[in-house]
Amino acid sequence: MMLRLHRRLYSGTAIDAALQRFASLARFEREIDGDYFVVRAELDDPARARRIGGELGNFALGLTVEQGGPDREVDAP
Amino acid sequence: MSDSLFGMPAPELDAELGEATVRVHVDATIYDLEAVYAAAYTFIARCYVLIDRPSPERFAITLASKSLPAAPEQLRALAGELANELLASAWRRTITRHNRALIESVTMQAFAGAMGPPSLEDLEAFDFSDEPFDDPLGIAQSWEDKYKKRPKEDGAT
Repeated sequence: MMLRLHRRLYSGTAIDAALQRFASLARFEREIDGDYFVVRAELDDPARARRIGGELGNFALGLTVEQGGPDREVDAP
Repeated sequence: MSDSLFGMPAPELDAELGEATVRVHVDATIYDLEAVYAAAYTFIARCYVLIDRPSPERFAITLASKSLPAAPEQLRALAGELANELLASAWRRTITRHNRALIESVTMQAFAGAMGPPSLEDLEAFDFSDEPFDDPLGIAQSWEDKYKKRPKEDGAT
């Protein structure tokens, strides 16, 4: 499972909080690739991967919206 | 497949249907990020939502149905609802922006009222020389001034 979340749209703090919340479901890796936060996890079952990826994305989006947008220090082009 | 789902001009709003997803492209010069957030947020309970910014001029919002399989009609309906929600969110923001001064004024009056009646010291310090309110355009006019009898002009019958 891989999620690419734009740094101008998603808060890194929110993504970290979401990953912490989902930590019991899979082992996630997070990195920055240009304008994107990239989240990866090894999941064998495609349906489970779809569900976990989707819910993780929703959680990160929800926290970002509640926070009022992406983190201030983002200076992606 | 890119499709003019709503019969609307593609530069402002168009969409691609996937197997179980619909990706809606939004003109960022018309809908700002706050409107995109607000619209996308309303779909979180029903869909997996992903927002992206493929270019500075465009947002892309992907909705993936949580329940599978997803019929094309269902995905089209989601895209239509998203388009409506975008418009509603943008409009609500415009109204809020326009009414900000009024909302602040009413809120201040409510807080001032909640503070209770003025004390004798407050009344003593009241400045009566102030104008009652600003009326730079001269719109306010008393009933007496507006309807008072005017002297008849010379030669009038």
